[in-house]
Amino acid sequence: MTATYALIRDTFREAFARKVFWGFFGCCTALLLFFIFLMRVDVVAGATATVSLFGKTSPGQDVTKIVKGTQGFIAAFMYVAGIALAVFASAGLVSAMFEPGRIELLLSKPVSRTHLLLGRFAGNVLVVASNVWYLTIGTWLIFGIKTDVWGTGFLLSSLWTIFMFTVLLTVIVLVGVLFDSGAVAIMVTFAIMIITPILAQKDQIERLLSSEWSRDLLRVMYYVLPKFSDGAKLVHHLIVNEPVTDWMPLWSTAIFGAAMLGLAIWRFERRTF
Amino acid sequence: MTEFAIETEGLTKVFRNRWSGKELRAVDDISIRVRSGMTFGLLGPNGAGKTTFVKMLLSCAHPTAGVAKVFGQDSRIPGARQPIGYLPENHRFPTYLTGWGMLDFYGSLSGMDEATRKRRIPELLELVGLDERAHNLRLGKYSKGMLQRVGLAQALMHSPKLLVLDEPSDGVDPVGRKHIRDVLQNLKETGVTVFLNSHLLQEVELFCHDVAIIQKGRLALAGSVASLTGGSGFRVEAANVPELVEKDLRQRAKTCERTEDLLRLSFNTREEANLAVDLLRAAGSEIESFSRTRSTLEEVFMSTVK
Ligand SMILES: Nc1ncnc2c1ncn2[C@@H]1O[C@H](COP(=O)(O)OP(=O)(O)O)[C@@H](O)[C@H]1O
Ligand SMILES: [Mg+2]
Repeated sequence: MTATYALIRDTFREAFARKVFWGFFGCCTALLLFFIFLMRVDVVAGATATVSLFGKTSPGQDVTKIVKGTQGFIAAFMYVAGIALAVFASAGLVSAMFEPGRIELLLSKPVSRTHLLLGRFAGNVLVVASNVWYLTIGTWLIFGIKTDVWGTGFLLSSLWTIFMFTVLLTVIVLVGVLFDSGAVAIMVTFAIMIITPILAQKDQIERLLSSEWSRDLLRVMYYVLPKFSDGAKLVHHLIVNEPVTDWMPLWSTAIFGAAMLGLAIWRFERRTF
Repeated sequence: MTEFAIETEGLTKVFRNRWSGKELRAVDDISIRVRSGMTFGLLGPNGAGKTTFVKMLLSCAHPTAGVAKVFGQDSRIPGARQPIGYLPENHRFPTYLTGWGMLDFYGSLSGMDEATRKRRIPELLELVGLDERAHNLRLGKYSKGMLQRVGLAQALMHSPKLLVLDEPSDGVDPVGRKHIRDVLQNLKETGVTVFLNSHLLQEVELFCHDVAIIQKGRLALAGSVASLTGGSGFRVEAANVPELVEKDLRQRAKTCERTEDLLRLSFNTREEANLAVDLLRAAGSEIESFSRTRSTLEEVFMSTVK
């Protein structure tokens, strides 16, 4: 337990010694300040409100719609830009652990390699999660206080964002263990993020493909890779309080993550440093 | 309590080049034993395989063949590494940590609780000669010598029973070297086993009781410093020595040591040495070598790795 706690705390220390995390944190803070000071929502007669932005006013809007819309925007920002930034920052954090001259000392400690890897992994997830929650809970509170709209969908959507990041982090860890390279890890992870919206359109693309095997390949890729793009739809459903009908993106992505992490541990245990 | 702090059997590491497929036997079938409480020096030219040997001892590198045991347990078992303190060669400690934070982090990984860490950290920083300023200074701003000192403090944090140091004097000025030597000397008296990798022969000669010299991954020579250098005089090595003769020679010789089937004797004078040869020959033993003993470890080293 002491070791786990130490590994997590060390990851936090290292993260905040890096500018990229302060950039992330700074972006979130700037956004929160923006909502506090620049956006004024005057609730008039319950359902309608006057929203004023930079002095421009647009009266007579449905307040719930505005709040949900803004929250949707923030959730989307977190989901796409936030995860991209977090991937960027984490790749360096993971590969730093394997640096020659540093890893030897870690491995010499009476802590198993699996424990070391999972400790750093958990630390990394928590660093990103705390940033995501900082912005999410901050925004939720500001909007709640200003407009009295307290939907839980927005809070739930942050869980999906963190989940998706966790799965992508398993890819970063695996590539880090295999190739010792943060840059390669970023490339592979971004490739997955970029290809999944395309794969999500599989029904349309399938019609364009002529051969059966290429259609099979497409389907296999779609089901195997994390559903980064489908996740965005899921987040939207959560925020506007629509029921989520298909949880396949969740469990198939989770299986992918578990497999990647398992492989990374397997490789790390066997590697010579 | 096990008798040996370190015990390796046929320890071998082969590196294979991924592209050319060429093999490099960095460590080749090395079996050594270091008794608990001993000071042991591993010598060898650059690239001999010293660091690779140590890495296998700490399970950073997995042996191609053989096992490395620490206090009787395979070092690949995490718990077996509990009593080890380690200072790696070419270390790169996290630059964002302060001297204090670094000891705290590695101490936690060694399973120390918070109260103990708080008590030990200032003690150790003082022991290795780092002043108050260094406590809260980031390691990124440390000089090479300071890093070496804090690295040693880290290795001693959890009061290890076995200290493994890979080139501990690297980049340290003469004053710092003396300081480190004094720290080690004190440890030696408390019964800590010290395993030292070094190319500084004088240092090893002064500090270590036993040494092994490896070259191109193979064990070239092993024994106590006293028997290998033997002051100035003569050395006789013989095989197939009957027990009775050995007993007799033990009394005549200045030092006498047995390794496997080889008996190594040293004498102060040529007459004594010649007499021993006569006795050995009469008993049907084989004389393996007869030589003037080298007076320093450096000379032994030079003639071994030639
Ligand atoms: N990870 C590795 N991959 C390939 N070769 C290695 C690796 N580590 C060490 N070597 C080689 O093994 C040999 C022994 O190296 P090392 O143990 O560092 O020697 P020493 O510490 O005695 O100077 C050297 O030839 C070195 O190039
Ligand atoms: Mg070395």
